[in-house]
Amino acid sequence: MKRRFAGLILAVALVLVAVGAGVSYGAKKETTTLTMWSYDNQDPGLEPVLKQLSKEFEASHPGVKINLVFKDFNSLVGTVPRALASGNGPDVTEGNQGYQTDAQLVKAKLILPLTKYVAKYGWNKLYAPSTWGMFRWTPDGKSFGKGPVWGIAQTGQNVVVFYNKKKFKQAGLDPNKWPSSYAGFEAMLATLRAKLPSSDPVIEHGNKEGYGFIHMFGGIWGASTKPAAVRNWIYHVPGSRYDTPGTILALSRLQQWAKKGYFNDDYNAVGYDASAQLFAKGKGAIWIGGDWDSTIIKTGLGASNVGVMPVPPGPSGQWTSIGGLSGPWHISAKTKNPDLGAEWLNFVITSARAKSLMYGQQQIPADRSAKPPKGDAYLTQVSNAFTKVGNDDGLLLYTDWASPSMYTTLQNQFQLLLAGKTTPQNMAKAVQDDWTKFDKTLK
Amino acid sequence: MSSRQRRRRLRRAKAPGDPGDIGWLYVLPGLLFYGLFTLAPLLHTVYYSLFDWDGLTPKRWVGLANYSEAIRDHVLLRAFIHSAVLIAFYALIPVIIGLLLTAALTRTRIRGFRFFRTTLFLPQLIAGVVIAQAWVWVYDASGPLNRGLELFGLGSLVRPWLGDFSWALPSIGVIGTWVTFGLCMVLFVAGVQKIPLELYDAARVDGAGAFREFFAVTLPGLRNEILVAFVLTTINALRSFDVIYNTTAGGPGNTTIVPSMYMYQNAFLFNRVGYAAAIATILALVIFVLAAIVLRAGDRSEDR
Repeated sequence: MKRRFAGLILAVALVLVAVGAGVSYGAKKETTTLTMWSYDNQDPGLEPVLKQLSKEFEASHPGVKINLVFKDFNSLVGTVPRALASGNGPDVTEGNQGYQTDAQLVKAKLILPLTKYVAKYGWNKLYAPSTWGMFRWTPDGKSFGKGPVWGIAQTGQNVVVFYNKKKFKQAGLDPNKWPSSYAGFEAMLATLRAKLPSSDPVIEHGNKEGYGFIHMFGGIWGASTKPAAVRNWIYHVPGSRYDTPGTILALSRLQQWAKKGYFNDDYNAVGYDASAQLFAKGKGAIWIGGDWDSTIIKTGLGASNVGVMPVPPGPSGQWTSIGGLSGPWHISAKTKNPDLGAEWLNFVITSARAKSLMYGQQQIPADRSAKPPKGDAYLTQVSNAFTKVGNDDGLLLYTDWASPSMYTTLQNQFQLLLAGKTTPQNMAKAVQDDWTKFDKTLK
Repeated sequence: MSSRQRRRRLRRAKAPGDPGDIGWLYVLPGLLFYGLFTLAPLLHTVYYSLFDWDGLTPKRWVGLANYSEAIRDHVLLRAFIHSAVLIAFYALIPVIIGLLLTAALTRTRIRGFRFFRTTLFLPQLIAGVVIAQAWVWVYDASGPLNRGLELFGLGSLVRPWLGDFSWALPSIGVIGTWVTFGLCMVLFVAGVQKIPLELYDAARVDGAGAFREFFAVTLPGLRNEILVAFVLTTINALRSFDVIYNTTAGGPGNTTIVPSMYMYQNAFLFNRVGYAAAIATILALVIFVLAAIVLRAGDRSEDR
C-alpha cells in the first residue's frame, strides 16, 4: 500500500513538473527556436562544424536558438517523415536523395520547394547543372532528376582508395605511382596479397551496417559501365537495366576479391567507421570508403603515410566513383520560420567561415568554387580525387536511391555475393527485379 | 455442460446480496484501457492491412491483395522459419534449464540461493537494447568469447559470430536463452514450494531416487507453471525485435530476419505500411493460435 502511495505521489509530482515547464516555456515567447535534424554525426566530421556554425548564427541573430539534433542515419531516415507529418518535427532536416525518403517527403507535401531561396541566395552557382539532378523531383514525387529543387547539400562525398604507403613499400610497390588503369589496379592488389603476411588483409573493410560493399563496388562498376547509364538507372529512365554484361563482370570481379582473400574475414561484423579506425591503426594495406572518414585515417597513420586516389578507370579512361553530395537539407512545410531556416542553410553551406571549418575537418565543401587551403598536401589529395572524378563526369551517385527497398536488397545481395552464396548473374537479376517492381508503381 | 448452464441461469436469478451486474463496473477501467490501447490499435492494424498505403499520402483500397502477396513472399516464409528456430532457444531450452535447476535446488540447500535467484532473473529486467549491446561486445571479433576460445586452444572456432551466415541465428538464440531461463527458473522454484512436502516424503519412503522423484512429483506438480512459461517465452520469441534490430538487423543476407523485423522494414524503410500491417496481423494470428494450442494442451492434461 505504501508503495502505491509513493507511486501516486511521484506521478503527481511529474505532472506538476510538466505543467510548470509548460508555463515557463510559454512565458519566454520572444525566443524563436529552430530545430534541425542531422545524421552527419561523425566527429571528426561535420558534427563539430554544424555545432560551431550554429553557435555563431545564434550570436549574430539575437533571440534565435538553434536546436541541433543528431541521430544515426537509419533512425533519422526511419522517423523523419512521420515527425514532419505530426507538426512537431524539425524545422529543417536532412533527408536522403532517392525514392525511399525524398520522394516521400515531396509527394506528401512535407517539405518546401527551394526555388525561391535558390534565386534569393544565388545557390544555382554552387554545383554543376547536372549535379542538381539529385535534388530535383516533380511535385508528385514520381520523376527523379527533373522538376523543382527541394534540397541543398553541404559537402561533396566521394568513395576513394586510401592506402598505407609503408605497406606499399613493404610489398615492393612504389607508393607514389598509382596505376593508371583498372587492370593495373588488380595487378597491384595481387602483388599486395602475395607480398604481405596472410594474417594481414589487403583491404580492411567494415560492412556491418550493410553499405560498405555498396560503396566499394562503385569504382569496380565504373571500370566496366558508363556512369551515365548508372545514373539513368537510378533516375528510372525507361529502358535502364542493372543486369547488363558490364555490371555482371564488375560483380564477379568483386566476388573474386573475396575468393582471393583480400578482405579481413570479419568484415560483416565490423562497422564502416570502425574499419577506418582499424586501418588507421595499421591493419590492411588499403581502405576503400568515403572521404568523410579521411580525418580518422590521417590521425592514425600520419598525413605523409597515406595516399588518396580513386579506383583507376577501365578501357573508357573515365575516372569514376560512388559518391555525390552529402544529405540534402530540407525545409519543413510546417515550419513557422522558413526564411530563417533558409538563412541558416545559406550560412552553413555557402559562407567563407563554413568552408574553412569544413576544410578544417577534412571535409570537401560541395560548393565547387571552394579551394582547399594551400600547403595542406593531404587535404589537396582528397580534394583532387573528388575533382578528378567530377571533371570526368564520373560520379555514380548512390545506387540505393533507385527504390525504397533498394538499400536492403543491395545490402543482402552483396553479403550473399561476397560469401559465395549467390552468383553475379543471380544477384544482378534480384536487384533488377526490385527496380522493375518499383518502376511499375511509378507509372 | 448442462449443469454449468443451469448454475449460470440460477446465478442470473438474483439472490439477495448478489452483486449482479455491478461486477462490470469493477472491471470497467481495465476494460477501457484494454479496449483503447490494445483492441483499438489491433483493429486499426487489420483495417490498414487492406490498403496500399505509404503512411503519409492517401490510402488506396486493395482488399486482400496484401495477404495474397504475403502468402507468396519467400522472405516472410524464411522469417517464420527463423522464428521457429528461435522458439527452441527462447522457450524449449530455457524451460529445460529451468527444470534442471529447480530439480537441483529441491534436492540440496544452496548457500546464497536468494542471490543466485535474483542474479539469474536479472536479464528479465534489463532493456533489450542494453542486452543487445552487451552481447554485441561479447560476440565481437576480438571480444571475450573469441578471446576465451583462443585461451583454451580453440582458435579454430573463432569467428565473427553475428556476421557469420550459419552462426548468426544460433548466436541470437543464445541471447534469448540467457534472457528467459531465469524467468522459467523463478516460476518453477515458486511452483515447487506449493507441492506438499508429504509427496516428497512418500516418494522417498517408496525408495524413489532423484530421477524418479523429479518425474513422479516435481514435474506433474509444476504443470501449470510450465504452461505459463511456455506461453510467455513463445510469445517472446515470436515478438523478438529489439535484440535482433540492435545486433544484426536481420543480416547477414536475411539469415536472421524475423517477422517483426520484416514488418519494421516494410513500414519504416520501404514505405509500405499496408503490407506491414498485413504481416503484423498474420503474426498476431500465429501468436494467438500457438498460445491457444499450448493452453489447450494444458487444459486437456488437467481433465485427465
